[in-house]
Formats: sequence, structure tokens, C-alpha cells
Amino acid sequence: MGESMQDRRIWEHPVLSWDRGTPLSISYDGRSVTAYPNETVAAALYAAGVLAFTRSSYLHRPRGPFCMIGKCSQCMMRVDGVPHVRTCILPVEDGMVIESEDPHDSEYPTPARELRVERQELSYDLAIIGAGPAGLSAALAAAPSGMRIAVLDQSPYPGGQLVKQTHKFFGTKESFAGTRGVDIARNLISMLREYPNVELHTTTQVIGYYPPEGVLIAARAEGVGRYKLMYIRAGRYLVATGAMERTLAFPGNDLPGVMGAGAAQTLMNVFGIKPADDVLIIGAGNVGVIVAYQARQAGINVRAVIDILPKTAAYLVHAAKIRRLRIPIFLEHTIKGAYGDGAVESAVIYQVDRSFRPIEGTEKELKVDGVWMAVGLSPSVELLSKMGARIKFVPELGGYVPYRTKYMETSVRGVYVAGDASGIEEASTAMMEGKIAGLSAAISAGRGTDAMAEERRKAIEWLDLFRESPDYRRIKEGVSKVLIQEAA
Amino acid sequence: MSEVEGTIGIEAGIVTLEDLRREGRLPPPEVLERGVALPIIDCLEDIPCTPCRDVCPTGAITMKTMINRPEINWDACTGCTLCAQACPGLAINIVNYHFGRRSLRRPGYEDYALVMLPYELTPIPKRGEVVMVFDRAGRQLGEAEVFSVMKSPKFGTVMVGVLVPQSIAFEVKGVEVKRRWPGRR
Repeated sequence: MGESMQDRRIWEHPVLSWDRGTPLSISYDGRSVTAYPNETVAAALYAAGVLAFTRSSYLHRPRGPFCMIGKCSQCMMRVDGVPHVRTCILPVEDGMVIESEDPHDSEYPTPARELRVERQELSYDLAIIGAGPAGLSAALAAAPSGMRIAVLDQSPYPGGQLVKQTHKFFGTKESFAGTRGVDIARNLISMLREYPNVELHTTTQVIGYYPPEGVLIAARAEGVGRYKLMYIRAGRYLVATGAMERTLAFPGNDLPGVMGAGAAQTLMNVFGIKPADDVLIIGAGNVGVIVAYQARQAGINVRAVIDILPKTAAYLVHAAKIRRLRIPIFLEHTIKGAYGDGAVESAVIYQVDRSFRPIEGTEKELKVDGVWMAVGLSPSVELLSKMGARIKFVPELGGYVPYRTKYMETSVRGVYVAGDASGIEEASTAMMEGKIAGLSAAISAGRGTDAMAEERRKAIEWLDLFRESPDYRRIKEGVSKVLIQEAA
Repeated sequence: MSEVEGTIGIEAGIVTLEDLRREGRLPPPEVLERGVALPIIDCLEDIPCTPCRDVCPTGAITMKTMINRPEINWDACTGCTLCAQACPGLAINIVNYHFGRRSLRRPGYEDYALVMLPYELTPIPKRGEVVMVFDRAGRQLGEAEVFSVMKSPKFGTVMVGVLVPQSIAFEVKGVEVKRRWPGRR
């Protein structure tokens, strides 16, 4: 495979720029790797050409990061002697010692270094889990009430998936239409920082919720092996945990270089690192075609975007943007396999018939070092489920989702939901749901004003009209299956 | 003309002039005669998106509601280009069809149009440079001189103006700088 020292960083981009600062040095399996202060360990290693991070438990196959947002476990390495550290959400520090590990051999859970855990008792009026478009909007909507609010996110940087979007958003003025996702995130965060009653905790992972007292426990990482355990009691909770990218079953789908489209976005757009030079993208929905365009902006050659369906589910204008750049979309195609010695070196695609069966003789081999999956997302409802919220499988919303009122309160009183965790939709609607949930949390706590009630009424009306649009009617149908009717 | 790789058709993201004509998106000849620049709006679906309408200073772009597609009133349009700069889908070109004869007045360019295209790639073309121009399917239509490059801080999208024969004025939808032609196998 050849992990030669290289620099995959992007230095020229039409929309983004990276304030990298002074380089520092980390050690990876005995060799020195250059990193920059704002990078995570996984990003810095990827930039240096490291693709295989860990190995599978039984067959010991090499594995590379799939999600890059702290949800999968394929970036786990030993850091400063601590095993099984998620390197994709661990900020680099000068002199860090990183070792690739074979989980089968590691002596987990006895780290080579003492863990330092400090316990903290905290109370808030509102605890928001997730600092993406939904969580940030919720905090911003509730903040004027004066409630004491904590926003927790496991990532080292707030903004969720917004920070990876180089395109201007659709929608209306109310949803910041015409502003790039990355700029919306920046605006929301800077507006939020104006409120002294709002705390934003990054690198903070919620690890449990304990009824009946209702204690939320979050681990705030303050370096490797150093944690602050936050025991949080909040009057209200708002879960905006987003979603997890799905994968597909095909030979070679675990080869390093095969990753979620969102992971590729993280590397390209958050850290300015090329995940690959030539890629195949699976899925020609909005995520697939938008990522294809972003890849071209990052100087990556997109060999093909394929989709098993006979029509792209993407907005026509997004698909059109890549076709005029000569990025081919192959409809009614799927992947036969990804191949390579230790990492992806090629992929074979073929055509399918109306019953999605492969058509013999239509195989095409593509020389690619990246295969990116844009085949849908599943709502991250684990925490909600743990909190006792009633959950139902709703295909229109992307999987298991919580029941909710029109005010985004779940079946558990005082627990709200917003964004992709309530159903896969998009950032504009996530922001609007966040607003509704945040306002509702304030209003139900008796901290609302008439203006807030009016704002909430408008937001609900907006969301309703948005979902009248042909592409979103199925969402409306999905929501109706889990809507809790308010008692009079 | 180069061949198109991948699936053809609007289902795969390729809009044709026929699609645009059917939707009333190509200005009729009498409108072209007015000699102003006009937007060609490749937005043929009902999607919840309103920046083009919101930014139009004369109300020439309307929508039934926020979830409907834009409609254009040719008589009200002044060719200001704001809609093209604001469109999040980079779906709007500005075509000044009689630019060669009425404005440019350069010998041999009487039948040339000025087409302004939104551009969010690198490198940014330079005025006077010769770039390649492409149609909606990515077929190369030829080469063209860059006549103008404009970027307003408010919108942040570069508008690249190219001089092209009137015969392809409505077909041109993409530009690419020659030195950056990616090696494709």
C-alpha cells in the first residue's frame, strides 16, 4: 500500500480558507508527522497519507475512518498510551504519540497511563445535546429568555454538518437562504456567544442518562485520558444528535478509502485535506451530487456518481451543476466491489435492471483511491431511547424516530427533539425545528414572551409550507405517523 | 463535440434547450431585440427557494409561494444580474444577445453575445483570457474570450462574462480555465 510521507492538504480553494497556524509535530508508529493546531489526530494522519487506522477484530483486516464525526469506531488508535481513542474528534497536541492498534491484541481496558477523571455537579434550565444547525438554533431561540443553557457536542468544533457546506443554502430569508452553510454556522455561533447565559461545551460526549432522577452524564475531554465528568440536572433537555451515515454491503466495503460522504466532507472542507485524488461516489441524491461538486472545488477528480434508481433524487440544479463540469452520473448502476491491497485502488460498477439485478457484461472498472457513500442517513436516537422517549420506525423519516408534538416535545415531558434526530430532512428544516423546540422549552418553563409565542407560530407555519413542496411531502406524511396530538 | 459520459436526460441532471423552451425560460425574439441582458433560469422544479425573487429590484421574478418555481416577466427585467449572483443553485446565466452589435462594436464580433456565468471554482479566469465553454451536458462547445470578471462581496459568487457566437448563446452553461484541464482517462 505504501504509506509514503506526503501532504494531502489543500492550499487553494474557491470558497474556503484554513487558518492553519504554526505546524507542530506528532509521532505515528515511530515516525514524525506534521500537524496543525486546529486539526484532529485523524485529520493530521490522513494528511500524511495514513489510510489504515485500526484492524477488524476477527479477520484483522485494515480499517480506516468511515464517519469522521465520532460515531463509527474505525479511527480508534492508541494515543499517549491510552487505547481505543477516537482520533477523529481528538485535537492534536504537540508531541502526541500515536500508535495503530489491533483491538484483538490490546489490553483494554487497562491503559498504560492513569486516567484522570474529575466529577462536576451542574444544573441548567436547558441542556441541549448537539451543536449542529438544530442545537445551535434551539439555543439561540431560547437564549433571550434568560434560561441557563448548556450546549454539548462531542466534536472539537461546533456547527455540526453546517461547517462542511460550501454552497449557498436554498430556502427563504427566515432560513438564511443564499448564505453558505459554513457562514451560517459561523453566524449562529457568534450570535450565541453574545449570551452570557449560554455555555457551549465542545469535545463533550454524552455517555448516559439515568432515570428516574434524570441525570445526564457527559464526559468532557480535556486532553488524552483527562476527563471532566459532568453530572447534569436540567429542567429541560433538547436532543439534537443528528444522524449517522449508512453504508452498503459489497466486497471491499471496509477497505481504507471507502468512507461516508460526510467523512470526505469533513476532511476536505473542515480540515482542507484531500481524502483521495480520484473518487467514485455512490448515491446521486443531494448529498452525493453536492459532495461531488465540493470534491471538484477541492481539486479532486470525480470519476462517477452512481445511483441504483432510474432518477436522481437530488434537486435538479445541484445535479446540473456537476453534469456541466463533465462529472458523469450513471443511473441504474451500482457497485460490484472495491479492490486494492490494503486500501482502495479500484472499483467496479455495473448496470442493474428494473429489479435491481446486475446486468452481465456491463462492468466498468474505475481507477479510484476513494469510494464515498452517499446512500442515506439514520437518525441518532440512542439517547432519546435511553431517556424513555417512544420511538417508531418511519421509513419516510429515515428509520427509528421519536414521537413528538408540533412543538417538538417527545413523549417524555420536558424532553425535546430537533433536526435529523427527529427524521432525516435537511439543514434548513433542522434550524427551524431547533427554533420551535428551543422556543417551546422556554415557553413551557414559563420563561416565554408573547413575541416568542408569535415567533414559534411563524416557524411552525414556515415548516408546514416548506413541506408542501413536492420533495418534502413524504416528510409530512412521515411526521404525521409520529405526531402526538396536544391535549386541549 | 465531445461525447457525454453517463446517463443522459433531465432525470440525470441534464437540462436541454427544449426543456427551457417548454417552461418559457428562453426570451422570445422581440424581447431579445430590446438589447438588454436577460436571465436564463435553469430552475425547473418546485423547490422551497426564494433568493432570486427576493433580490430582484423590479419584481420581474415572481413565485406563487415560496415552494414554487420562479416565473419571469421579461418586460420588467432590467438585466441587473443580481438574481444570477444570488441563486444558490448557480442555475442562472445572464445573456446579452446583441452585445456584439450594440455595445462591443469590435469588427468581426457583430454576431457575438455576452454570456455571464456564475463560477465558484479555481482558478478564477482573467479578463482577456481564452477559456473553454461547455453546454449543460458538459460537451465542449469551443473556446471563448473572457470579457468580464465580476465579484460582489455581498454575494461572493464570481460572474464570468464570455463572448460567444449568438448561435450558442443559450447553450453555454459552463466555463473552465484551460491550464486546469484535468487529465481524464
